[in-house]
Amino acid sequence: MSHAAGLPSFVAFVIALLVVLGAVLTLIGALGLLRLRSFYDRVHAPTLGTTLGTGLVLIASLTLFSALQSRPVLHEILIGVFMTITTPVTFMLLVRAALHRDRSAGRDPAAEGASRSQGRPPEPRPE
Amino acid sequence: MSDDTLLIALLALPFAGAAGALFFPANARNAEAWLAGAIALAALLVAAQFYPDVARAEVLRSEFRWLPELGLGFTLRMDGFAWLFAVLVTGIGFLVVLYARYYMSPQDPVPRFFSFFLAFMGAMLGVVLAGNLIQLVFFWELTSLFSFLLIGYWHHNAAARDGARMALVVTSAGGLCLFAGALLVGRIAGSYDLDRVLAAGDLIRAHELYLPALVLVLLGALTKSAQFPFHFWLPHAMAAPTPVSAYLHSAAMVKLGVFLMARLWPVLAGTDAWIWIVGVAGLCSFVLGAYAAIFQHDLKGLLAYSTISHLGLITLLLGLNSPLAAVAAIFHTMNHATFKASLFMAAGVIDHETGTRDIRRLSGLARFMPITATLAMVAAAAMAGVPLLNGFLSKEMFFAQALAVEGPSQSMDRALPYLVTVAAAFSVAYSLRFIREVFFGPAPVDLPRAPHEPPRWMRFPIEALVLACVVVGLFPAATVGPLLDLAARAALGPATPEYSLALWHGFNLPLAMSVLALAGGVGVYRLLKTQLARGVERTPFLPPIDARAVFDRVLAAVSRRWPRALEAAVGTNRLQPQLRWLAVLAVVAALGPLYRHGLAFGEGASPDVDPALAIAWVVGAACAIGAAWQAKFHRLVALVLAGGAGLVTCVTFVWFSAPDLALTQLLVEIVTTVLILLGLRWLPQRIPFAWTWAGARAAAPRRLRDLAIAVAAGGGLATLAYAVMTRPLPETVSRYFVTQAYPAGGGTNVVNVILVDFRGFDTLGEITVLGAVGLVVYALLRRFRPARESLDAPPQQRKQSAATAADDVLVPGVIMRLMFPVIGVLALYLLLRGHNLPGGGFVAGLTMAVALILQYMAGGTRWAEARLDIQPVRLIGAGLLIAAATGAGAWVVARPFLAALAVDVELPLVGKLQLPSVFVFDVGVFALVVGATALVLVALAHQSVRSHRAPQQP
Repeated sequence: MSHAAGLPSFVAFVIALLVVLGAVLTLIGALGLLRLRSFYDRVHAPTLGTTLGTGLVLIASLTLFSALQSRPVLHEILIGVFMTITTPVTFMLLVRAALHRDRSAGRDPAAEGASRSQGRPPEPRPE
Repeated sequence: MSDDTLLIALLALPFAGAAGALFFPANARNAEAWLAGAIALAALLVAAQFYPDVARAEVLRSEFRWLPELGLGFTLRMDGFAWLFAVLVTGIGFLVVLYARYYMSPQDPVPRFFSFFLAFMGAMLGVVLAGNLIQLVFFWELTSLFSFLLIGYWHHNAAARDGARMALVVTSAGGLCLFAGALLVGRIAGSYDLDRVLAAGDLIRAHELYLPALVLVLLGALTKSAQFPFHFWLPHAMAAPTPVSAYLHSAAMVKLGVFLMARLWPVLAGTDAWIWIVGVAGLCSFVLGAYAAIFQHDLKGLLAYSTISHLGLITLLLGLNSPLAAVAAIFHTMNHATFKASLFMAAGVIDHETGTRDIRRLSGLARFMPITATLAMVAAAAMAGVPLLNGFLSKEMFFAQALAVEGPSQSMDRALPYLVTVAAAFSVAYSLRFIREVFFGPAPVDLPRAPHEPPRWMRFPIEALVLACVVVGLFPAATVGPLLDLAARAALGPATPEYSLALWHGFNLPLAMSVLALAGGVGVYRLLKTQLARGVERTPFLPPIDARAVFDRVLAAVSRRWPRALEAAVGTNRLQPQLRWLAVLAVVAALGPLYRHGLAFGEGASPDVDPALAIAWVVGAACAIGAAWQAKFHRLVALVLAGGAGLVTCVTFVWFSAPDLALTQLLVEIVTTVLILLGLRWLPQRIPFAWTWAGARAAAPRRLRDLAIAVAAGGGLATLAYAVMTRPLPETVSRYFVTQAYPAGGGTNVVNVILVDFRGFDTLGEITVLGAVGLVVYALLRRFRPARESLDAPPQQRKQSAATAADDVLVPGVIMRLMFPVIGVLALYLLLRGHNLPGGGFVAGLTMAVALILQYMAGGTRWAEARLDIQPVRLIGAGLLIAAATGAGAWVVARPFLAALAVDVELPLVGKLQLPSVFVFDVGVFALVVGATALVLVALAHQSVRSHRAPQQP
């Protein structure tokens, strides 16, 4: 990247560290989504990426552009704020739907995690 | 004023009046009549002041170029012949307006009547003044359309509707034939320009396509003029209000066929084919029309058949291939217009003042309405060809021509004088019957109304026309001579013969024929009197063919039975075969050029692929295949997977530095996913089935075939794309766009500059399509009948109580509502910066639509609509208007349509601001995108609110 050439190496190091950390956190979240057993367990894993992972990458971006333009660039804060506000909506709706499904099927959502931990997560049933 | 302006004014006046007439209140009979009368009179005066010019045998032309490469332009052309017709159309039009003021009842919605009437007059003038064949056909079809509207004016009356439809079908089908004929003639002559066509007569007659062209043109002319065998629509058109009949069937509509034949006479006439088609059609109409007219009991029916007969006379004259006969035809056209218009009006007066038009019920009206009776008698005498009236003169000329004819068949030549004398005797008979049975005899009994004279000014048009009949009949050379002369010279050109317009030509054969016809007519009438009094319902000696039943049957076959049979044979209602054929056709269409030119790959394949992008693409491809795989079994999953593929596309755009595309892709992906999600609920459920080996084996050939088609189409497209992308980019216009975006377009965002400036017209077309698509989706969903099983609320909703449902979306709902202003601001931001940075009206509109969708999702349809007043249709309209008006605004400063302008505005607080017109254009795009998306959303959302009617059992 040519326009990043003037970046001091220690700043570049910090940014790289932040980006890698954020990416690793997101990857862990994705692996969790893959590995965890019950729906209620799995729903937690991706939050790792949407909160801390995103936050670290955003801080990295903020640092990079502030350093490049020699002035505080704060757009990323807005992205963070909106991510923080809107991501829970998805999770709430997903969990509510799952609860609803389990209850209407006569299963106990609280026992779900324990009893299902041996087998595969319940198949999403077609309407 | 220049001639150009006046010519345009002559054509534009009636149309402007028609538009204006619509805005009057329904009961403004007087105001409407004043307006229409003033327009007609003004048009007449404008036409009249051209007299000195056309009298010098000048041809006035006024040209506006449109597509000169295709020989298309808007040309107004006036010569003596066109002038004569223009005067007839406007003059009789004025008298009819005056008459209609008294004829129309106060209960009739007159704005519609006068508006159609004026528009019809304008269309007539358009045909008459056309200087270009295509333009002539265009106005020709307009006359068909407006005559349909006029005949069907009393649309609560089934006869009026049927008559109007029949007239429209017959005349506009003829018009289509004429269109084809005009194209052929124009192709032979090398130009559609009337002057050049008229000069190319020899070329056209010698051409091998002459016969098809002639037949097609004549089909148009003969249907319009209600000539045998297309005459049947005219009697049915009598369901129209009488002023309409008086206008359409005397001076206007039916005269167009005659006008066209006379107009193209120098080009098409002079061959045996012409004499056979035109002459025979005219002769049959003349004889049969006159014969059938005797047996009509409806006054207007009698006049209708008499009109067919007289037009047959004119057509026959034109078909005789003799210039003198053509002069007589033009002369009789004028005469017929005067006496027939006055007779129709008189019939209307009788209908209006007595309440019936049945000749059998009418009797002795002369003592109640002596003036009208006298006028009608004079007009009828003119129609019968009684000496000292105008009809006599043209009929005399006609007889002379019938004697002198030299056609291709000797026996026809010899029979013609006898045939026409007989037909003339018939016309004397029906004229006599009209007079004798309506005005003489004992006083009528049991009439719906007590008969009396009509109002003074209702009679005036009849008086004026009858006066013309008498004056022309007495002093032909002094009155009508110069007019006929200039019309004949203009129509026939150098072939115009010498002729004499005199009352007395000495004792000769034509005079003897006239006398014979008069005497014979009286004889025929006396013979048939008792039989007619008994009230025979049908015409004796003619085969009892009900033209209307035949017409209805043919129409039913052509418009319903055959198409249905065809659809049943080759059509399908199933989506799968349709899509299969689409895909197969696409593959075949692509294979064609490949087979001919071969396929070669370029050299520019880049070996290094970024692994990150490669992984993204693998994910995208997996999503796409998964979507196709799941589409049948789990629609929701398929939709989510399709969204994944879309996101990868979006990432690819970002990767290759196309932020505008990426932004648009992202938003389109969101909006379409949500809209399809909403629609999923209405899809029918899959029929549950158990997987078996036998079933799978039975389906295997079909599935393999579909797989082969899918692989061929997808793989073929990928191959083609690869072949294109491995070549170096050719020198295209894109380089110009990139370099000129800022200097010429004033924006640094090349994509947006292209959209709103360089290719602004394309964008205008695209948003028009988008608006149309929105409306179509809305219209389709309005009449949507969901499958029976998805009528009820889905099981999830049924199990869920309202309280927990509200509970479930409580927190998300609050956040979604909070997001509304934020997304709105984002949309505004994208709109404002669009010209210089990624964004623009389209993206901003989609963003705004997402904000709206969120509100519907958060609170439900009722909640959202109680709080947000979205008017999608108005937004679409406003968007289109803004965009088009911005484009038209460039005209104000004499720049072409959609040229980009910039205005510097001084705003308080903000300071100087450059406001480019393209920004306003973009606002239009924004409004339209919001409107179209919201319209689809609303249509889907309302499905769950409205109550559905159960689908009918098949």
